[in-house]
Amino acid sequence: MGDRRPDIASLAAGLAIGLVGILVLLDDSGALDLSFAVFAPVACAATGAILVAAGLSRRE
Amino acid sequence: MTSLASGARPRLRRDRAGGWIAGVCSGLARRLGADPALVRLAFVVATAAGGLGVALYALAWLVVPAGDAPAGERRRPSSARASVQVAVGSGLLLLSALLTFRALGLWFSDAIVWPLVLIAAGGVLIWRQSLGQPDAPEAPTRPRPVPTAPEQAAPATRDPAEAARTAAVAVSRTGVGVALVIAAGFAFLQGTGALSAAKDVLLAVFAAVVVLGVIFAPWIVRLVRSLAAERSERIRSQERAEVAAHLHDSVLQTLAMVQRRADEPREVAALARRQERELRAWLAGRPAPGQAASLGAALEAAAAEVEGRHGVPVETVAVGDAPLDPATEAVVAAAREAMTNAAKFGGGSTVDVFAEVSPERLNVFVRDRGPGFDPTQVPPDRRGVRESIVGRMRRHGGRATITSAPGSGTEVELLLERSGRDGS
Repeated sequence: MGDRRPDIASLAAGLAIGLVGILVLLDDSGALDLSFAVFAPVACAATGAILVAAGLSRRE
Repeated sequence: MTSLASGARPRLRRDRAGGWIAGVCSGLARRLGADPALVRLAFVVATAAGGLGVALYALAWLVVPAGDAPAGERRRPSSARASVQVAVGSGLLLLSALLTFRALGLWFSDAIVWPLVLIAAGGVLIWRQSLGQPDAPEAPTRPRPVPTAPEQAAPATRDPAEAARTAAVAVSRTGVGVALVIAAGFAFLQGTGALSAAKDVLLAVFAAVVVLGVIFAPWIVRLVRSLAAERSERIRSQERAEVAAHLHDSVLQTLAMVQRRADEPREVAALARRQERELRAWLAGRPAPGQAASLGAALEAAAAEVEGRHGVPVETVAVGDAPLDPATEAVVAAAREAMTNAAKFGGGSTVDVFAEVSPERLNVFVRDRGPGFDPTQVPPDRRGVRESIVGRMRRHGGRATITSAPGSGTEVELLLERSGRDGS
């Protein structure tokens, strides 16, 4: 009990998806213009961060 | 109090046995304790609502590890999968940075940057594949194990399905790399407006390749088959030589000892038992009983064995050490044969063995102060020096040098380059 380590890949995935959700919310509220030119690098960065975190955590 | 163990749900794993595509929905259903059909329906609805379902499925396919593989299928090593994830993730991060620079106006030209990115990605794939599977020399090892009765029903260590999967991965990786590089070329030509002009040239080149291919195909096929046959024959020849060298060093020498000690039945029986154990282990592909784990220990054991068999002192000095692998085992076997020769023909003088191991090379010297001999006068039917020492070292990528002259003793130098051999 209490010795469970956080799953880094899940943590990174949660943070990335949360960030994307915040951006979509800002776009929906009109505070941000979420065009494709903005969303594409964000989506790539989020997916890339999740994959790198998953790969690195699996290597350990 | 609720027991965590009794209420624990299975970890999230892709269920490839029960899945339709990659087992994402089935695995998620097992994790949630829900009907897989409901999860699949949720993904279909999410896909219809803007394609989110496809993206989530693809992401889960990459991130969620696979569960138990279906029968007969071996799971991919997790380290290889992790490497792929890190590589793809790094590529996406780089792509994100490039898109960001482009959006900010810090950009050179679409016609230059994207073809360069494609060429880099394709080049990495092709180079990684070509460097990851070097065309190593066919270093002979011991023969394939002879299966015993219980082993005959067991699957082979490297089954055809595994080999086919490895080949498919290599072909697909190279194919994707080549496609990326070709796409980069097309993108560059398209971006610079030279594609239409290049079409005529490409068409002419394509026509020439087809014509030449039809003309020369029979010769090319024959050449490829000839090379393959020659390679197979070379491998067979090396294996035959290796088996002959091993039999010479073990069985033939034991038989010679048996003849010399024919009046000592207990000694002869012990020799026969030891030889039988060693030969059985060799045929089964197992380490010989009592086999050392490192070069230094193996040389010490070989020296002790030669000393015990021939009653000649063998002094061993080793500087550095290395783990045993097929190449270093060959060095030990060649050194053992050189010690045996020194003990048999060295006139009873002490045999000195000096081994030096560095990250770059491995040197073993075997010296005696006996009457010496002329190496060029060794009869062709004597395999000890020719096959067990010189040939064995050559087959494993090393070299043996014998320095001797009548009346001046003998020195055998065994050299094995280690750089790039074991990745150390």
